[in-house]
Amino acid sequence: MQTKRYKAGGLMMVSVLALGLLLAWMPASAQGGGAPVRPTLVGQDTLHDADTVWVMVSTVLVLLMALPGLALFYAGMVRRKNVLNTLASVLGITSVVSLLWFVVGYSWAFTPGEPWLGGNARMWFAGLDYQIGTGLVAVSHVAPYIPESVFAMFQLAFAIITATLVVGALVERMRFSALLLFMSLWTVLVYAPIAHWVWEPGGWLARMGALDFAGGAVVHINAGVAGLVCAWFLGPRKGYGREAFEPYNLGWTMVGASLLWVGWFGFNAGSALSAGGRAGLALTVTHIAAASGAVAWMLGEAVVRGRGSLLGLCSGLVAGLVAITPAAGFVTPAAALLIGGVAGLACYWGATGLKRLLRTDDSLDVFGVHGIGGIVGALLTGVLADKSIGGVDGSLWTQLLSVLAVVGYSLVGTALLLWITRLVVVDLRVDVQDELTGLDIALHRERLGS
Amino acid sequence: MNDTDILAIAAHLHVLLRRKTGRVTDTEWMACNAEYAQEIVRFARERAQADQLPELAEWAQRLEQAVRQVAGISVVQPLLHTPEVQAGTTASPPAPPRYVGGIR
Repeated sequence: MQTKRYKAGGLMMVSVLALGLLLAWMPASAQGGGAPVRPTLVGQDTLHDADTVWVMVSTVLVLLMALPGLALFYAGMVRRKNVLNTLASVLGITSVVSLLWFVVGYSWAFTPGEPWLGGNARMWFAGLDYQIGTGLVAVSHVAPYIPESVFAMFQLAFAIITATLVVGALVERMRFSALLLFMSLWTVLVYAPIAHWVWEPGGWLARMGALDFAGGAVVHINAGVAGLVCAWFLGPRKGYGREAFEPYNLGWTMVGASLLWVGWFGFNAGSALSAGGRAGLALTVTHIAAASGAVAWMLGEAVVRGRGSLLGLCSGLVAGLVAITPAAGFVTPAAALLIGGVAGLACYWGATGLKRLLRTDDSLDVFGVHGIGGIVGALLTGVLADKSIGGVDGSLWTQLLSVLAVVGYSLVGTALLLWITRLVVVDLRVDVQDELTGLDIALHRERLGS
Repeated sequence: MNDTDILAIAAHLHVLLRRKTGRVTDTEWMACNAEYAQEIVRFARERAQADQLPELAEWAQRLEQAVRQVAGISVVQPLLHTPEVQAGTTASPPAPPRYVGGIR
């Protein structure tokens, strides 16, 4: 068994490296059909210092969402014997995704190419220049007033949080090597293309006018659907539906949720890519939606169960934050109140009633909260977008199309990549005995202190 | 009272015993074997009294009721009562167990 694990880990590393090297030496003819690379060098005096500072701060805030925010949020909800594995999963994915974003992910997502996929010009962060002698610095055409290095890192933090969100659906039963390999492939082949469709001006959904200010579809629907597919593919945990899976420490979950709330200001307001009024409004609506989501979930619990809970408040605030994400730069504070409230109730149903209907062990409700919240937010953005704020009107049909496109691609792509991962690693799940023992000991030979 | 309900109560008692007393029990055996269940109920009540753990006594009472209902035996009030039972009120039906089939 040990030999099989080492073999799987080795295969995974070789696969990731091989992918990077293969892409690096691809012929120029395969690189976006010869389309011009739009990111360019500009004089440093054309940059806006305040914008640059704000996006750098936002980058840190978004990274804070994953480390330690999401890590604590998830680790508090799993059983004691799987806490360290959950923390390791978030940290491991953060590291692997960072390298892949540097190698290929950023280029495929944010350079012009085809409507379906970006080009190869920024692989290995090539061209992210800062030339002190000539006074030139590279900027992205998506964010022309900040250094491209800052923009690339800001987007890296988004890629990290998206991949780590999926962990919640598959905790307590997936092999660590299989997880890292799958998330590597998923980031490059599912996340990066969808980011290109929606956020790069040449992407097909961007051209159609789909509105997704900070990632309702790209991040949350995508991660939610991927999580659901993973949960279905892996099967339920042993004892699911029969035994009580007591969470280790909901105090950790509350601390994690609080860090997510704070970090989300960088996520949403940072997506304005400037430090102006739009960022300020995005920050405001983000806070209102979070509060509204928490209150709505709590009220839902009070009506159904006769009491509110700490986990309900934490879940509700995340639901509100998820739903306001696509709308943050397009709606008024009053609309944010509505979006957060609707999302709080919809996600409560998603994590309880819908979960029972789906009969899938989406362990920490990634689809129920992020998938449903993302869909609610994306559709309400089409209804509530205010032209005086974002300069564009929303279209419910365009939003619906973008939701369906992301759901469909994420579903098929995730299933396909899980199948490929199973071919390489042999089995996605740990052995029954390892699962009963707990993944901390079984996979890492580590134990949580008393 | 069906098998799932008994299993859920047994699972809850299992967790409580593990956390409060360190005692490890067999959840599934507890749900299907009346003799084993009665021994666990006895142990839980003993520790509940010794360590002042009313929650443990309450869940022991629930398990006993469930097992007896299935066996068709009338419920006998235990010597150790929860405050609610001591006040002469009827024990409420068990609330849906937490963390079975979902965390929220």
